[in-house]
Amino acid sequence: MSKGCTEVALLGLGPFMNDVSKMLADVRRGMIPAYVYNDSEVYELEKEHIFERSWVFLAHESEIPDPGDYVVRRVLEDSFIVSRDESGSVRVMFNMCLHRGMQICRAEVGNASHFRCPYHGWSYRNDGKLVGLPFHAEAYGGEDGFNKSGQTLLPAPSVETINGLIFVNLDPNAQPLREYMGDFAFYLDFYTKQSPQGVEVRGPQRWRVKANWKIGAENAAGDSYHTPQTHRSVVEIGLFREPTGSKRKEGALYWAGRGGGTTYKLPEGTFREKLRYVGYTEEMIDRMEDSWSEEHKRVVSEDGFMISAATLFPNFSFIHNWPKVDATASDDVVPFITMRVWQPISATETEVMSWFIVDKNAPEDFKEASYKGYLMCFGSTGMFEQDDVENWVSITSIAAGSMAKRLLLNSRMGLTSEDKPLNPPLANFHGPGTAYVGYGEFNQRALLSEWADFIEKPLEEVERLAMGEKKSKDASNKGSK
Amino acid sequence: MAVAKTDTTLMRPLRYSDERHLEAHQFLVDESYILDSQRYDEWLTLLTDDIQYNLPVRVTTARGAGFDTAKGMSHFDEDKYSLSMRVARFATEHAWTEDPPSRLRHYITNVRTFNTDNESELFVQSAVLLFRSRGDNREPYLVSALREDILRLQDEGLKLARRLVLVDESVVRMQNLAIFL
Repeated sequence: MSKGCTEVALLGLGPFMNDVSKMLADVRRGMIPAYVYNDSEVYELEKEHIFERSWVFLAHESEIPDPGDYVVRRVLEDSFIVSRDESGSVRVMFNMCLHRGMQICRAEVGNASHFRCPYHGWSYRNDGKLVGLPFHAEAYGGEDGFNKSGQTLLPAPSVETINGLIFVNLDPNAQPLREYMGDFAFYLDFYTKQSPQGVEVRGPQRWRVKANWKIGAENAAGDSYHTPQTHRSVVEIGLFREPTGSKRKEGALYWAGRGGGTTYKLPEGTFREKLRYVGYTEEMIDRMEDSWSEEHKRVVSEDGFMISAATLFPNFSFIHNWPKVDATASDDVVPFITMRVWQPISATETEVMSWFIVDKNAPEDFKEASYKGYLMCFGSTGMFEQDDVENWVSITSIAAGSMAKRLLLNSRMGLTSEDKPLNPPLANFHGPGTAYVGYGEFNQRALLSEWADFIEKPLEEVERLAMGEKKSKDASNKGSK
Repeated sequence: MAVAKTDTTLMRPLRYSDERHLEAHQFLVDESYILDSQRYDEWLTLLTDDIQYNLPVRVTTARGAGFDTAKGMSHFDEDKYSLSMRVARFATEHAWTEDPPSRLRHYITNVRTFNTDNESELFVQSAVLLFRSRGDNREPYLVSALREDILRLQDEGLKLARRLVLVDESVVRMQNLAIFL
């Protein structure tokens, strides 16, 4: 579908266009047209309307600790070099040579002071600055023909970091990251700030699943209802004691800003006892006490909830579980945290990038046990995730045809027919946002209404850059969208 | 803990007629039939109690970078307990990812056997290609890998004591690794 079509669509013109406004209205009332999980036109809208202007996670600072360290990461088809320059700053640069558009860096991880293009030998410092242009004088007549001085690889339009997490936004006028995520930042600290020094990460594992990217994002955001059924096998073998139907429905679902998640209700006890129950060591709990606010601590101690899965719109999720990771007869468990990006490849395929993350200050034996717990439960081999993905692949595949276009999936769990919550929101919850106890699809609806808002918002013009051309006040660099 | 790849450039494999090579080769082929038919309880009996089963994440790095696996991150980094849990899970009636089961074929080839410093252990390299088909109309999955095994001679015969699986892709093109290589 061609650019600019969306606006027309929203006016109700054309066959698909007509569908867009209907689709958004359906989604907003919690009735999800099944085809949104397998539709190339919907995916085209998502590419521009969502992924060109929302904050997408790229990398964690601990992946590039030293000057020259880099990783190469993508936002859909756009490849970025995420590097630490010689001054220690993080740079995010479009991975395309300014000359003929060659991909500059073809490795995915490494250390380099410079990147040299294999095509014609243009070279760039690891902060992006163009430093080598063979035969500049002979080939271009120097600066007159090609303005080299001060040129850099195209920097990512907007880059911001929170708790070491590096996010990119392809919109140069993007709303600041903290404002964008809103109060979800509070919950981010549970996962990524268990001590003032934050986390270190391993990975990512990368694998491709023939499933639409939204399904995983929705699942992590709020689907506590699937756990007792989908993950029954891991309870049966004694890997994880929590996800029985009765336990899961006692957890709270929270939504704050542009993200939300699920929790488990913990047995009675103090802050320390509750963290011990999920397997944290005394010294790690000491550091959580220092690192977290009073409200964080009260969510655990007084409200009695322990974070589980979560999603920040559009496609960045976390999972926190506490399985039994060794053969001893005791009931000892070890907690682990994973974060992942549901990177869309097409309407029907997602690349999962899944990292194991752990408090930088955790004892080494804790880190190893926690890593083991991660591998057993989540990721490409995880015993939870294996069953999730089988379901998501099947949903995507079955949503391809004409019958799926006639079916609106009911995603209204937790609401009455008058749009009232079955149970009122938690009155004294100490975290920000709105929280409900019990099963409900509040968070999936919140995530998909963000999705609808982004799709509805008209696209804006983006600036183009005429590389090396003599500077002029000409407005011809305005692109049309 | 992750297992390091062995540099075999200066190592001489046993001749194909060597009894020890024939034993090792037969072990791998017999094992592949067990894995194909998902008789995992039986597979566990082929593993030593101190089995290390490791499948690292491969990464694309510049020539000369000195590494091509992700630091500290694998797909599988297993011991007997974690492998037993995986097998126990498949035996429940609720491991949806393998119900209906995949059709599996492990092609084992390029087998080479080497003596080690330990008389009761053989070092065995093999190439494996796994074909996995799920459902009636999904595209099948293929994964290709190098395996480096330590086979240990015990009273009941050869057992697998260590396996390093180096998959030949950095992004695994399979919905999950609910299989063993």
